Amino acid sequence: MDEIDDILASVSAPTVPQRTRDLQALTRAWVNERTSPDLLPYPTPLVDRVMDRVKKQIETIEEITGTLDPKSNFTLVILQTELERFKFLVRSFLRARIAKIDKYPIHYRDLTLTDLSLLSPLEQQYLQSHQALLSAHYNGSFLATFPQALQKLDDTAGGVSMVDKPDEETAVFCRVLRDAGTVEIMGETATTDVDLKRGDLWLLRWSAVKDATVRGDVELV
Amino acid sequence: MALPLPPGLTASEVGFLCEMELVTVIPRQRLEGLELLGGPTQPLNPPFPTPLPLWLALLLKKQKRANINPPAWLSVDGLSHIHDFETDTRTAEVFSPSQALPPPAGVRHGYEDYLSSDVIDFAPPFLANSSTTGAQADALPYHWLEVGHLLLTHAADDFDDPEGVRRLLRDLREVRMSKLRKGFKVLDAGAGVKLNGVGGMEIAEVRGFVGGMVDGLRKINRSREESRREREAEDRENGLGGSSYQDDEDDMQL
Repeated sequence: MDEIDDILASVSAPTVPQRTRDLQALTRAWVNERTSPDLLPYPTPLVDRVMDRVKKQIETIEEITGTLDPKSNFTLVILQTELERFKFLVRSFLRARIAKIDKYPIHYRDLTLTDLSLLSPLEQQYLQSHQALLSAHYNGSFLATFPQALQKLDDTAGGVSMVDKPDEETAVFCRVLRDAGTVEIMGETATTDVDLKRGDLWLLRWSAVKDATVRGDVELV
Repeated sequence: MALPLPPGLTASEVGFLCEMELVTVIPRQRLEGLELLGGPTQPLNPPFPTPLPLWLALLLKKQKRANINPPAWLSVDGLSHIHDFETDTRTAEVFSPSQALPPPAGVRHGYEDYLSSDVIDFAPPFLANSSTTGAQADALPYHWLEVGHLLLTHAADDFDDPEGVRRLLRDLREVRMSKLRKGFKVLDAGAGVKLNGVGGMEIAEVRGFVGGMVDGLRKINRSREESRREREAEDRENGLGGSSYQDDEDDMQL
């Protein structure tokens, strides 16, 4: 499939190969996930494509290793170095997501009921079984001895929610990739509007740029 | 299993990113084009300069299979010019402009998935000409400090005057850092500071301080901000002149 895509891309316009675009996309996914306070949607097609290629590349490397040609030794070093770089990107990306899922499990469990693209099937499975284990453990060790009214882990009674949420107002550094209209800044004395112009670098609140980041108009740095 | 690091890239992660920048390599050995995961590389034919990602260029350099041609901005001339701009009293408030982004990648329809690579805009470290020999001489790329440091450490013999470049790079870093710190006087709870021209490593360096300060101020000012927001919302409603008693009642319930 990839090869066909690459050929099509090279015929239609002087564009960059799909693999290079995917590297940009994966790198952006990683940086966005590492720097944002909130979980971003899971880019399923992108990760699937990258993982497919990683698998194929491992097979290629195994084949070359089998031939034992001294000339191909150096090629092998390059291929393996690049493979490790890719594996690091994917791994760090997934681990950053798991860190957030672990931090706000109930919040994201509730969100996935309405937004299916937020977590990958594996992440959902992890979240569910991890939560099941945790609540069974809490119940077994101390919650069961509490009065019935105090046993809930997601109580919202009295106007105070027990469910922890990521802080949407955290400040983030971002780069504007496409003109993205205006955002409001709540200053100490007044609210001002600023224009997000292509190429600008800003320190802004996450809530102000979250939608633009998901659209791809803004990337975090 | 979960990543134990707080949000925000660490210095070594920024270093990892900058190794994806393209640099110009002058091969000493032949090497056929490789099918890498990040796209095909061009075949190496000595002595024709070829663009390669920095991590690969450093690998070739270490094995003495290639030399690296430093970009135009990473020279005594280029850096002194930028240094003059940074220290000029007329431009004391701004950073020297960064390299321009390439034109936007096609039209987006608005229904693409998050990070769909059909229409993806390229940004540092994937710009074609930020650290190659075709790079602008009078603008610093986003990863200027990291690229400069790596090239000076691993390919010092490819520079005409490595000591001069190193000294200028250090001066530039100090001038810009003090500018950045001065700039933070305007920081308040609302964030909203434009940082055009600031580099990746510089952001990584101040992220903890700036993030902590802005978030701290916001928490202190939370009640004031909320009351102002309510007042402004009220003003807006009154400005429209359409708010009846009934509407207010509805708002209260929300």
